[in-house]
Amino acid sequence: MELLTALTVGLLFAIGIFQMLRRNIIRSTIGLIILANAVNLFLLSTGAYDGTVAAYTTTTGQRSDALPQALVLTAIVISMGGTAFVLSMLYIISSRYETADMDDVQGLKH
Amino acid sequence: MSFIDTHLVLLPIATPLVGAMLALLLRRWGRVQAYGAAGTMGLSLAFSALLLARVITGGEAVVLQVGGWRFPYGISLVGDPLSALFVVMSQLVLCAGLIYALGSKDAIIRYPPFYPLFLLLSTGLTGAFLTGDLFNLFVFAELLVISGATLTAASDDRYGTEAAYKYFYMSLLASTFMLLAIGSLYVSYGTLNMADLAGRIAARPDGSLTTAAIALLMATFMIKSAVFPFHFWQPDFHAAAPTAVSAMLSSVVVKVGVYGFLRMTTLLFVAQAPLIRAILLVLGVVGVVFGGLSAVGTHNVKRMLAYSTLAQVGFILVGIGWGTAPALMAAVVFSFNHSLIKAAMLMLAGYVASRAPVKSASFDVVTGVGRQLPAAGVLFFLGGLGLSGIPPTNGFISKLLLFRSGIEAARFVPLLIIGLASILTLVYVIRSFQTIWWHAPPAETRLKPTGDSLVAPALLIGLVLLFGLWAEPLVKVASDVSLWLMDPALYIAAVGGTGG
Repeated sequence: MELLTALTVGLLFAIGIFQMLRRNIIRSTIGLIILANAVNLFLLSTGAYDGTVAAYTTTTGQRSDALPQALVLTAIVISMGGTAFVLSMLYIISSRYETADMDDVQGLKH
Repeated sequence: MSFIDTHLVLLPIATPLVGAMLALLLRRWGRVQAYGAAGTMGLSLAFSALLLARVITGGEAVVLQVGGWRFPYGISLVGDPLSALFVVMSQLVLCAGLIYALGSKDAIIRYPPFYPLFLLLSTGLTGAFLTGDLFNLFVFAELLVISGATLTAASDDRYGTEAAYKYFYMSLLASTFMLLAIGSLYVSYGTLNMADLAGRIAARPDGSLTTAAIALLMATFMIKSAVFPFHFWQPDFHAAAPTAVSAMLSSVVVKVGVYGFLRMTTLLFVAQAPLIRAILLVLGVVGVVFGGLSAVGTHNVKRMLAYSTLAQVGFILVGIGWGTAPALMAAVVFSFNHSLIKAAMLMLAGYVASRAPVKSASFDVVTGVGRQLPAAGVLFFLGGLGLSGIPPTNGFISKLLLFRSGIEAARFVPLLIIGLASILTLVYVIRSFQTIWWHAPPAETRLKPTGDSLVAPALLIGLVLLFGLWAEPLVKVASDVSLWLMDPALYIAAVGGTGG
């Protein structure tokens, strides 16, 4: 399980960073979203899988750490808000320039 | 400590937050909303001044364990000398920003979410300085970034959205770095409370992921402060933001990274601090030279001031890099003074742009515009003196303290470089002053009859002169701060000692 999680996190990072470096701004934003999810998975794996039973229940057994789960919930909400905002700005930019190629978006290079 | 005392640390965060919600409800009554927001900021400034007075006279930190959770388990809010001083600094500048917004003619000011977003910016900034929990710092920093980016995306400037996209993209990247650092530290030390974390890192400085966490946190704070290799978004973003907001972004918001570096070197990673300091010193010196040269080469007053921020943050990093008590004191005084000066200068640039025939701060447009605006000229001249560190302004005090601490620490090579590079400040300030206030306008220029109000920059320049002529209280507080920072055990004991 640990190996599988580690491999998944690594793979998501690789895909995310590769997409971020693309010239197409939609692709690079998707790369950022994948990267944010890779980080969320990493945060979850910092302690949530140590136990087998949910915390704060009456079931007996090794309890899992509740803190990373709380952290990852917060991080998911924040990254969702951020993603929505990035996508809305992306929509304005790509419709103003009628392109998704970063090199054609050059209003700031004046 | 009594109930009122400990909850004093909550008020500078809670007041603007509640104010933002009320302002959102009042969106149909524009004037009520605007003056209500100004009143909220004033109240918040009063609370933070009280907090600072309490911390400095009491000689100890004001700590609140939120929700009554015992020490390492809950979130602590810590008003120690450093955070209290930084909170007062940011609230002071934010108040001035709000006063500027009240008198501004920008279209974005009449947009109903403007004041709520501005107050949320204030909440995020204050919270980031006052929290004693690393994850909570991330949350407040995100609040700050989102409200700042939203305000810029809706700016009057045509390219506001692109600049905001650039900034927000970088900030999301920075927040993934920060989350990775938080995860690494949590795996290694099992806690996120900064005081607890500092104690555990000091006991076992060679955790498997500690170095990775340091690198990631440094990258995060460098992006937040626009330190040299991560600065490329900053001039676009600060130049495209509405004046009332860009004056905040370029003065107090960049101080979040400075605050982070101060905490990293003096609290969290004391064992690894020499390496962090060496990196900060090099990047600071490079930033001073690069920022100065870039500022000389720009064609827009706002961009020039944004590049100047890059240089001035470089000076602060050099102070943190030297790391002795006088150097830390100089860094703190420099941060405080730079916030006042830079906010005033950006407001003056925005004022000139608002009176210019076309609303722009480009040198082509504003050449000679100042001939009919003598009051703004006097203020800009005084602010320019402050930026280049000439008496009787507070900029002189900051540079004096910084250079003296460098001489005491016998660091002559960086001192020589930043000394020479600070001449560049004089070059670009004088050039912009000449262009706007001395040169003849290209043809007959017709100024707009009204523009933004000059009240806010005049207030800030007044403070610049006040802290230049009567610097003793600020220097005294900053020296208390530096002594507090030199002993991380004080912070750990202050946070761990309550409710535990």
